[in-house]
Amino acid sequence: MIRSTGRQRLLSAVALASGLTLLAAGCSSSSNDEGNDGDAPSTAEARTLNVWAGSQTPIVENFNPYAPGVLHAALGGVYETFFVYNKVQDDPPIPMLAESAEFNDDGTELTVVLRQGVQWSDGEDFDAEDVIYSFTAEHVKRDWVKSVEAVDPHTVTFTFDGPQFTSEFALLGASWLVPEHIWSGIENPIEIVNENPVGTGPYIVDTVSDNAYTVTANPGYWGGEPAVSEIRYLGVDQNQTASDLLTSGQIDWATMFIPDVDAVLADGRLGYLNTPQDPTVLYTCANVDLGCEGPQTDKAVRQALNLAIDRGEINEKAFVGLAADISPTFALLGRDDHWISPDVESVSPQTADVDGAKAILEDAGYELGADGIFEKDGQKLELELTSVDGWTDYNDAARLIEESARAAGIGLTASTVTWQEFSDSRQSGEFELVMGGVVGTSVADPFQIYRDWFSGEYTQPVGEILQPGEWNFSRYDNPAVNDAVKAAAATNDEAAKQAAYATIQEHIVEDLPYIPIVINATQTFFDTSDFTGWPTEDDTFVFPPAWSNPSSGVILGKLAGQ
Amino acid sequence: MKFYVRRITFYVITLWAAISLNFALPRLMPGDAMSTMIARMGRSGDIPESTLRSIELLFGNPDESSLWEQYVAYLGQLFRGDLGVSVTKYPAPVTELIGQALPWTIGLVGLATVISFVLGVGAGAFVGWKRGTWVDSFVPASTLLQAVPYFWLAMIFVYLFAVTNRWFPIAWNYDPFSFSGPELSWAFVGSVVYHGTLPALTIVISSFGGWLLGMRNMMVATLSEDYVTTAEAKGLKRSRILTTYAARNAALPSMAGFSIALAFVVAGSIVTEQVFSYPGLGKLMITAVQGNDYALMQGTFLVITIAVLAANFLMDLIYGFIDPRTRHNG
Repeated sequence: MIRSTGRQRLLSAVALASGLTLLAAGCSSSSNDEGNDGDAPSTAEARTLNVWAGSQTPIVENFNPYAPGVLHAALGGVYETFFVYNKVQDDPPIPMLAESAEFNDDGTELTVVLRQGVQWSDGEDFDAEDVIYSFTAEHVKRDWVKSVEAVDPHTVTFTFDGPQFTSEFALLGASWLVPEHIWSGIENPIEIVNENPVGTGPYIVDTVSDNAYTVTANPGYWGGEPAVSEIRYLGVDQNQTASDLLTSGQIDWATMFIPDVDAVLADGRLGYLNTPQDPTVLYTCANVDLGCEGPQTDKAVRQALNLAIDRGEINEKAFVGLAADISPTFALLGRDDHWISPDVESVSPQTADVDGAKAILEDAGYELGADGIFEKDGQKLELELTSVDGWTDYNDAARLIEESARAAGIGLTASTVTWQEFSDSRQSGEFELVMGGVVGTSVADPFQIYRDWFSGEYTQPVGEILQPGEWNFSRYDNPAVNDAVKAAAATNDEAAKQAAYATIQEHIVEDLPYIPIVINATQTFFDTSDFTGWPTEDDTFVFPPAWSNPSSGVILGKLAGQ
Repeated sequence: MKFYVRRITFYVITLWAAISLNFALPRLMPGDAMSTMIARMGRSGDIPESTLRSIELLFGNPDESSLWEQYVAYLGQLFRGDLGVSVTKYPAPVTELIGQALPWTIGLVGLATVISFVLGVGAGAFVGWKRGTWVDSFVPASTLLQAVPYFWLAMIFVYLFAVTNRWFPIAWNYDPFSFSGPELSWAFVGSVVYHGTLPALTIVISSFGGWLLGMRNMMVATLSEDYVTTAEAKGLKRSRILTTYAARNAALPSMAGFSIALAFVVAGSIVTEQVFSYPGLGKLMITAVQGNDYALMQGTFLVITIAVLAANFLMDLIYGFIDPRTRHNG
């Protein structure tokens, strides 16, 4: 018989406490000073730069620029493009393997002058043969490229089957140049691991293991041998772990969401840049003709919702104040200002306009019911907004939107779904409202969003899955917008493009197939106490994320120790 | 002999059922690898159309052959030891990924399970022996540790012992700053032990309470058996009674539980491996499920199935040997 006396209760507490103490003691006794050169004091010679570019353990060797799952260092670090485009600000592209490139007047020909004196890391010269291979090999050739011909060893002319002004970025900023003398002998180029990649970039692959891989400086780099002689790319499974490693000085460059920026920056080691790029929106299945169902197919409902949302509050509460204001034109504010038509509001409203929202619905024939929710023809205005469970910023934003929508008489219900459900619903168009992202454009021009997300050619009827490269989840299909997209694609004349964009913007701001919310933060942290050469607030010469390519290659080429 | 034939037949049928289920399950799941991969890549910015093209070339042609043909092909591949190529960890073959992950999982989770068992059963025997004294308070104390959600415990440990006090590393199975891959040296072994200590500790702390409780209760029951009283009456040494008479008999049910626990070691500890970025099998499984990576999913499930069946089989044999009663029906 066990009686619980005061003494015994005390003893259990002591036992519990001593249990914990023993644990702590066990820990401390086995701690030792094992080597960890991540904390090594800086010397004049630049130490190894430790990067987390988003790889998870186990790291799998893959330096094939054509294969999915290619490791980050391969793109930009080993292989390069003709130019690197800056998606942060409206700069001319940075010439890498090309010195210049020019379209003819109607956009059917592109002449690229190659950089001279560039060598592959195996010592061979880089010339027009390599370019021709990199654009005409079976696995990379594009239907619309008619021919790629060498004018001389350092000049190449592309001929297209029509105007290809809009493919400038795809050709010059996103096509990797590989050595013809190696790749032409490879049978299945997209299936190889490419253990020892031969590239023109600032780094050469050294070692690969489960936890990390390293690259070393390319002594023959055309931009001069990089000052940082070794870079280690680490594999980390969780943001929290990466954030801990960053705080404790074991990671020097990482791009990830960290709400409490000040805590990470406290010791003064790290520099920080927030470069918001990608819009967060509400996808609305907007097009009845393609099979969309639900109240959101009514333009008035989308407009009312747009006014009812309190974006300032959403940014403050759901995005910790780190997101940026969005333009309903989907041009990136600050970067694309000259593309925004003067006839539309350039910034989405930042506060809720409940009366305005109600007025729109009343004008459209809705009546406020006794329970404070609008109805039309006996049908209550009720819709469902889903967000991916675990994307906490989106979940919080969805709840805030629910609150403000209900205040304006819109019976919106926020719920969470799995990532797979989210992916399936947006692919097939079987949804009412979804919290989702739009992929920001890689150049200072919103064109790609207009074409890929808003034009009728980039969508499918509800129930059919979008093809790769099609992003028009809302099924929006407006002939005026489609024509304007085509007109913009056929010209390189700024005024003509502005006119086309003005038409597009007039329609999408009015129709709101995607209801703009905010521009997501992209937070990059980097060690400024041991390294120099990073992009800064004043001179963001490229998009700074560690995972971004080929821009990370430009940064790698510039870094130096201090 | 009949007993063994019966058991072996049973296991062969079970194995076949498991393999067939393994074939069917991924095909019942929604989503295909190509769209999953594209959607995931789209999250971190623009996907160049050249990449889209590669993905399409690689994964764009869904298998058009009939289910039966696929099944036959699948069985054929299994016998050849070919588990296919992983999509999420492209282009690594699944066998290679599992081969790399398995030793780490067995090393970490296996060792932790053994330590937890020895510690729990040892302490349980002692606590049961000293029943009714202050030692009993170990029971609620250890159960409390077990009741704490594991991921929370693991993260608190990382925070306290790796971030705030830098006694232990935050992640990985060995130091990637000093070693560029596994090597045969004492320094490397030291690094592995050092990196494994904290994750192993969290596993032990959160699991030894169960062994302790079970053992303690069996111990109390055994101590009231007549043969223990007899042993005491004979005037045997108390330590001899504890080890040879009481603990030995009381440990039998725990031993059965232990063999099951060992089989599940192969499944890894998903949360541990995630929190500590430890490249084990549990981590692979999560990667596979999240990425709709059927080949990898099938591979990991297969390994786990085989491990569990093998452990059960072994236990059956051993039990049939130890306890002749189990060899006869009813």
